[in-house]
Amino acid sequence: MTAASIRVTDLRKTYQVPEREGGLRAAAGSIFRRSTKSVPAVAGITFDVSPGEIVGFLGPNGAGKTTTLKMLSGLLYPTSGEATALGHVPWRRETDFLRRMTLIMGQRNQLAWDIPVIDSFELNRAIYGVSRAEYNVRLDELVELLDVGDLVRKPVRNLSLGERMKCEIAGSLLHRPEMLFLDEPTIGLDVTMQRRIRSFIAEYNARTGATTLLTSHYMGDVEALCRRVIVIHHGSLLYDGDLTGLVERFAPRKTISIDLEPDQPALEPGVLAGLAGGPDAVVQHGAERVTLRVPRSETAAVTTRLLGRVAVRDLVVEEPPIDEVIDLVFAAGPSDAAERAETAAAQPVA
Amino acid sequence: MRSLGLVWLSLRLGVLNALQYRVDFFIQLFQSVIGLGTALAAIAVVFSQTDELGGWTRDELVALVGVFFLVGGLVNVVIRPSMERLMEGVRLGTLDFTLTKPADAQILVSTRQVDVWRLVDVVLGSVVIVIAITRLGERVGVEHATAFGLVLIAGMAIIYSFLLVLATLAFWLVRLENILVIFATMYEAGRWPVGLYPPWLRLALTVVVPVAFAITVPVETLVGRLEPATLVTTVVLAVVFLVGSRWFWKFGLRHYTGASA
Repeated sequence: MTAASIRVTDLRKTYQVPEREGGLRAAAGSIFRRSTKSVPAVAGITFDVSPGEIVGFLGPNGAGKTTTLKMLSGLLYPTSGEATALGHVPWRRETDFLRRMTLIMGQRNQLAWDIPVIDSFELNRAIYGVSRAEYNVRLDELVELLDVGDLVRKPVRNLSLGERMKCEIAGSLLHRPEMLFLDEPTIGLDVTMQRRIRSFIAEYNARTGATTLLTSHYMGDVEALCRRVIVIHHGSLLYDGDLTGLVERFAPRKTISIDLEPDQPALEPGVLAGLAGGPDAVVQHGAERVTLRVPRSETAAVTTRLLGRVAVRDLVVEEPPIDEVIDLVFAAGPSDAAERAETAAAQPVA
Repeated sequence: MRSLGLVWLSLRLGVLNALQYRVDFFIQLFQSVIGLGTALAAIAVVFSQTDELGGWTRDELVALVGVFFLVGGLVNVVIRPSMERLMEGVRLGTLDFTLTKPADAQILVSTRQVDVWRLVDVVLGSVVIVIAITRLGERVGVEHATAFGLVLIAGMAIIYSFLLVLATLAFWLVRLENILVIFATMYEAGRWPVGLYPPWLRLALTVVVPVAFAITVPVETLVGRLEPATLVTTVVLAVVFLVGSRWFWKFGLRHYTGASA
């Protein structure tokens, strides 16, 4: 077991945000007396990340994901708490640390707007002190992996959003960082481009063993890339563990969908409820299709009972879609999330 | 050495970016020629009435106009646009990328944006200075010219530091573009020797907005009117400004919160 790549202990960041009532009078008053209020963006989180891990940060807007990422990449000084990344305290911004990591933000670009991409790369080459020979090898590799061969000679303003993002990523990896902070790298991209970028990130991780922290609103990104997820809500850590565990904890029920053989006597509602373990478990009851939502532990028993009692043409047992699980998690605060998730999952969704 | 290489590459990028817009050159040329013509015409008008203005002769004032254009041009080529870009970066959060780079962030932000066509002012200013020197003739010796160069560099350093401090304020007061406009307005006052102004304005142009050190003092050096003490003061002040502004910049960085995504 090697030492953790990232170690975060009780990290906090509180912003002072100006605050005033709406209206002209309040606006005029605030010129002289600005009242501020403290907004805890990150309210004490603790976690470790092992070398080579890809960890997904999940949380609704304003949960504190980006703030955490920015503290870990050295952009922000925390209000309190400790963190090390690659053995450095990030916000000291020591050259050795900055040289070994990169930050990619889907919503911002760093390439110069009016000139070919390759000229911006050249500046990055100098900043990171990459030798010409190494630069050429890495550039070729990235160009091939990201399929940006023709693009790098075009001015940035002539690129589509997806093309630009690919070039941004290539430019951010020329120094072969060991640590990647990706803040919504696929935002606004079409599905094909999202998939492309995902597979690239996975490939980069496999080739270089770079530790990767990723935030995204697209569950597809997280499902494809992250075995481990950290869920933040209102600045606090809500869950830290593998993705399947998240589903088990916050969505304790599975969905059983059954297509019935048409030539058989109709199922009485009471009978079906009995088979499913209670009327609450029945989500949908049609002549040819029945949907049940049952506790995880009873799935096998219910399935067996059903198969013994009715003629089934097809039967599918499913986890709820991960998006739905996340909704359930965020619908509640840290303390009662699990409880609320339980209740919500039990509600029939017609 | 590495820093110099970085400055060069960063500037190169800025020049490449600016060269995309060639029409800007003609607009700038037009604007600069009009500006220079007006300034020289004003001097001609004044000296049609008198032979001397507050101890300054016509040729000395022409040299002053030359320095005014040269320094103004240098400021507007790199320093002002880069500082504007910095303040925008603080407001929009694009400064994030600069800060994650393993290089001196001050160098990166100070060379970020190049308004290359403003070099027109630098060229015109230099030409005017050369013409003025020729007309001043033997009064300008080699030692004067050397001291002039030194004071000019010191003056630029002072102006740069001053603008960096103003731009750094953006870390606390996010919307602040106008502060550079105030500087530009004060800079216009440098068209005339600061000695001509009433004491309070002279003080302001020396202490509050240090235009005097960038324009009047170099010209005084050129025509051999400068006290050695002032020369030393200017150089010392330049060092103090550079060190102080760098400290302030680093202090400001701690307050950077970025724009939230």
